[in-house]
Amino acid sequence: MLVQALLIALWAGIAGVDMFNGLTHIHRPIVTGLVVGIILGDVTTGLFIGGTLELIWMGMVPLAGAQPPNVVIGGVIGTAFGIIAGQDPAAAIGVAIPFAVAVQGLITLFFTIFAPIMHKADSYALDGNYRGIERINYLGITILFVFYALIAFLPIFFGAEKAAAFVETVPEWIIAGLSVAGGIMPAIGFAMLLKIMMKVEYVMFFIVGFILAAYMNLPILAIALIGLAIALYDFYQNKNKPDPNGPGPREEEITDGI
Amino acid sequence: MESEDKRYLYDDDTAAPDLSNKQLNHLAWRSLLLQASFNYERMQAAGWVYSLIPGLRHIHKNKKDLSKSMKDHMEFFNTHPFLVTFIMGIILAMEQKKEDREAIRGIKVATMGPLGGIGDALFFLTLLPITAGIGASLAIEGNVLGPIIFLVMFNVVHFGVRFGLMKYGYKTGVKAIAKLKEGTRHVSRAASIVGLSVVGGLIATYVSFDIGYKWVSGEAELNVQTDILDMIMPALLPLAYTLLMYWLLKKGRSPIMLIGLTVVVGLLGAYFKIL
Repeated sequence: MLVQALLIALWAGIAGVDMFNGLTHIHRPIVTGLVVGIILGDVTTGLFIGGTLELIWMGMVPLAGAQPPNVVIGGVIGTAFGIIAGQDPAAAIGVAIPFAVAVQGLITLFFTIFAPIMHKADSYALDGNYRGIERINYLGITILFVFYALIAFLPIFFGAEKAAAFVETVPEWIIAGLSVAGGIMPAIGFAMLLKIMMKVEYVMFFIVGFILAAYMNLPILAIALIGLAIALYDFYQNKNKPDPNGPGPREEEITDGI
Repeated sequence: MESEDKRYLYDDDTAAPDLSNKQLNHLAWRSLLLQASFNYERMQAAGWVYSLIPGLRHIHKNKKDLSKSMKDHMEFFNTHPFLVTFIMGIILAMEQKKEDREAIRGIKVATMGPLGGIGDALFFLTLLPITAGIGASLAIEGNVLGPIIFLVMFNVVHFGVRFGLMKYGYKTGVKAIAKLKEGTRHVSRAASIVGLSVVGGLIATYVSFDIGYKWVSGEAELNVQTDILDMIMPALLPLAYTLLMYWLLKKGRSPIMLIGLTVVVGLLGAYFKIL
């Protein structure tokens, strides 16, 4: 069992990295089902459970910031327990889902904890130290790999019941709360963009964009095209006018709030 | 951005030599690590810089310029991980011509949002369900070809798009810049207009902040989100929270503190079953 658990852990690590980097989609349950089936010596069951889990996760798309249960851990744990315990896919999903939800909570936490490291990256950028920025990216991948491998290894090696009991000791509100926070989190990124770009003369375009999405439910592409139409109109209106800021080449910078 | 250098121009403003196809392919390979250091403060920024590094080093032989451009690109960045190469191509063309750094930033921000939306619709809502659906139906019957067919179909499109758009974006960028060279100020203004309309739309679309609390009194039930907040204005809370974050940033609060605050809001909301 140790060798098999280690091999599955290795696969979970690779798949976990692929979910964010590479995105060849070898991390989907349909592929994981085949691989875990080969490791555990039951390819037919592996394919069957992997295919079934694939159809379930197909409907769980991360939209509007709400994160679905983690597809990598769901696929790995689901297939492994389905084969080891001889369960049907429905029961395998029952085991896999709590892990997948908990893991997604932990990923939210990881993306939060990794934020301060960006300030290190800033200072590397300022020094022109590109190797430093490369190292930070390799660090991120390494942590993801180890994290996924561990999460897959422990329950398979120690058994599902013990692991499930442990997951259930984590209060539900903590997992739910992390998921809520993950949904709000993009606000911080947008606020940082506003801090960089916003000038009083542009506030109206910001309002228009918001209204088009909030009230009219237009997709972002449509809003970008409307913005482009306004920008083109503005461009041709002002193209031949003399520069209102006078001949000084970059006077607007004195007034901007950056 | 309390940059010590208030000017938005590069020190060395002579255009760099063109990037070869080989270099563009190398950059497209690197873009696979776009999300290696994903986090809630800058999202893909450090991975974006990682993807660009060989290109930026080719373009900026002046060390000060290299650090300026890397610093600019460390700002918040988030787009679709397949379509990113299109933005890389355009931005590298602009960097190569030593465009105004504000115009570079404007184009980057204006393109990342729409491409993010298009990419989700194209790849995660269309290509993935189709290819995975075909593969899964074979796999369930015990056919080993299921996963293999899925991976081949999906990745032919994926890598075709990734490498194709790198070159297409670069060529488009070089051509468009030659035409617009005389009017960088206008381009920068146009980019800000598109960029800010997009950010306004992104807030309403991608920040999810709903009150789940229902006020019950006898027979009557009042859903705070749909009956009160949505009546005042849809996406009221996402807008209010983003503006609060904006205000706190302007007050000099660090993004880390805001992330911590948001986690606390989420946990409290879930604990009291409000959110």
